[in-house]
Amino acid sequence: MTLELGRQSFADEATLMMAIVNRTSDSFYDRGATWAEDKALDRVAEVIEQGAEIVDIGGIKAAPGAEVDAVEEIRRVGSFVARVRSAYPDLVISVDTWRAEVAHAVCAEGADLLNDAWGGADPALVDVAAQHGAAIVCTHTGGVQVRTRPHRIEYDDVVAAAITDTVGYAERAVTAGVDRRAVVIDPAHDFGKNTFHSLELTRRLGEMVATGWPVLVSLSNKDFVGETLDLPVGERLTGTLAATAVCALAGARIFRVHEVVETRQVVDMVASIAGRRPPARAIRGLA
Amino acid sequence: MTIRVALVPGVPALLPAYASRVDPVADLRAACLDAVRWLAGAGARVLVVADPQGRRVATYLLSAVGAAAREPGGAAYDAVLVVGNGSARRSEKAPGHLDERALDFDETLGAALRSGDAAELGKLDLVLGVELLASVTGLAVLAEHLSTRHRAEVRYEDDPFGVKYWVLTWDPEGHRPPPP
Repeated sequence: MTLELGRQSFADEATLMMAIVNRTSDSFYDRGATWAEDKALDRVAEVIEQGAEIVDIGGIKAAPGAEVDAVEEIRRVGSFVARVRSAYPDLVISVDTWRAEVAHAVCAEGADLLNDAWGGADPALVDVAAQHGAAIVCTHTGGVQVRTRPHRIEYDDVVAAAITDTVGYAERAVTAGVDRRAVVIDPAHDFGKNTFHSLELTRRLGEMVATGWPVLVSLSNKDFVGETLDLPVGERLTGTLAATAVCALAGARIFRVHEVVETRQVVDMVASIAGRRPPARAIRGLA
Repeated sequence: MTIRVALVPGVPALLPAYASRVDPVADLRAACLDAVRWLAGAGARVLVVADPQGRRVATYLLSAVGAAAREPGGAAYDAVLVVGNGSARRSEKAPGHLDERALDFDETLGAALRSGDAAELGKLDLVLGVELLASVTGLAVLAEHLSTRHRAEVRYEDDPFGVKYWVLTWDPEGHRPPPP
């Protein structure tokens, strides 16, 4: 099914790089590197140059931390979205928020996609997406409260739970009036999950793909990679790319990443191995 | 019988099964398609002269211009498509590595093709050609179909991967004057 993300359409076989752009002072990976608005704009320019199709702008770190209310969140991302839209009229702009109030503000500034990392915590978010013709990412969190870490969460079957919740959320979005072609599902590695859960979701990602909804994966430098390889933030790229390859082979469509260039190479290589993408330029043995 | 004749190289990269995102043989492909389109124009029945791999290429090129190859074996035809090429040993990076005899061989072969002279084509050392990984099995049949009335046109000549390619057409309406 064609994927409609705001002003852009993407064919079935297209894989997309969603580059993370933080408007935060405390996100785990960049630790505030793009807290200053000009730095964040530089980051946008950089990831576009690297080939990212989507930027995902976030104003609140996912983990617990200092309270950021809706007013402050809008202050961080609202005008920034407007600046990015003005500079890049055709770029797909995603905003990482769970709040309908924030979503409304950023859609008015030109956001195309609402990346709700907290699984529909604010039930009105789908209405905002529908009202603005925005796309939406429906994640699985296992019902945890926003900005909390998982604590002793168990699932009978984590993949079945992820499918049930994300597909349910997706249908709720469509019922609210969001274009069916503008809905993406995301198992949300590490969100409401221990490392074993995230590994199993990776291993069985094909079951999510089989639902027919386009699947987004957000693997980049996460704790499940760090715990699996016993590596700190900053040394998780290789592990991230291994997980990326497995998800790409299973048919994930969108990859939310810190490292665009490396991820794009892995995803393209896997797509060619899978027979979904011709090689760039093959002449060896064929001249 | 004086009929249209064309030569294309049997390059597997021309086949859809081996398509890349960026066509490594775009210019060659364009020349081949032009030549085959000319050859098969007005519903001509095209005899293909090629080894099995070359036949795949010829069949594809003909289908790409909406034509089909005649089945070999006595069926009537009014155009001939020969699949062949020069040496694949023209450089260090060539598929067959460098053989210093390759350039001379290809020069002689190219001159014979341009002349369209059956006698010149008949003089070629085909055993050497096989050693040089040239595709020359169709040259005898090519020579049989050329006459002094044909005018040769070189539509492509290059060796981008250390393999010598020509796309040539021989137009029977060329009315080349006889040699003095």
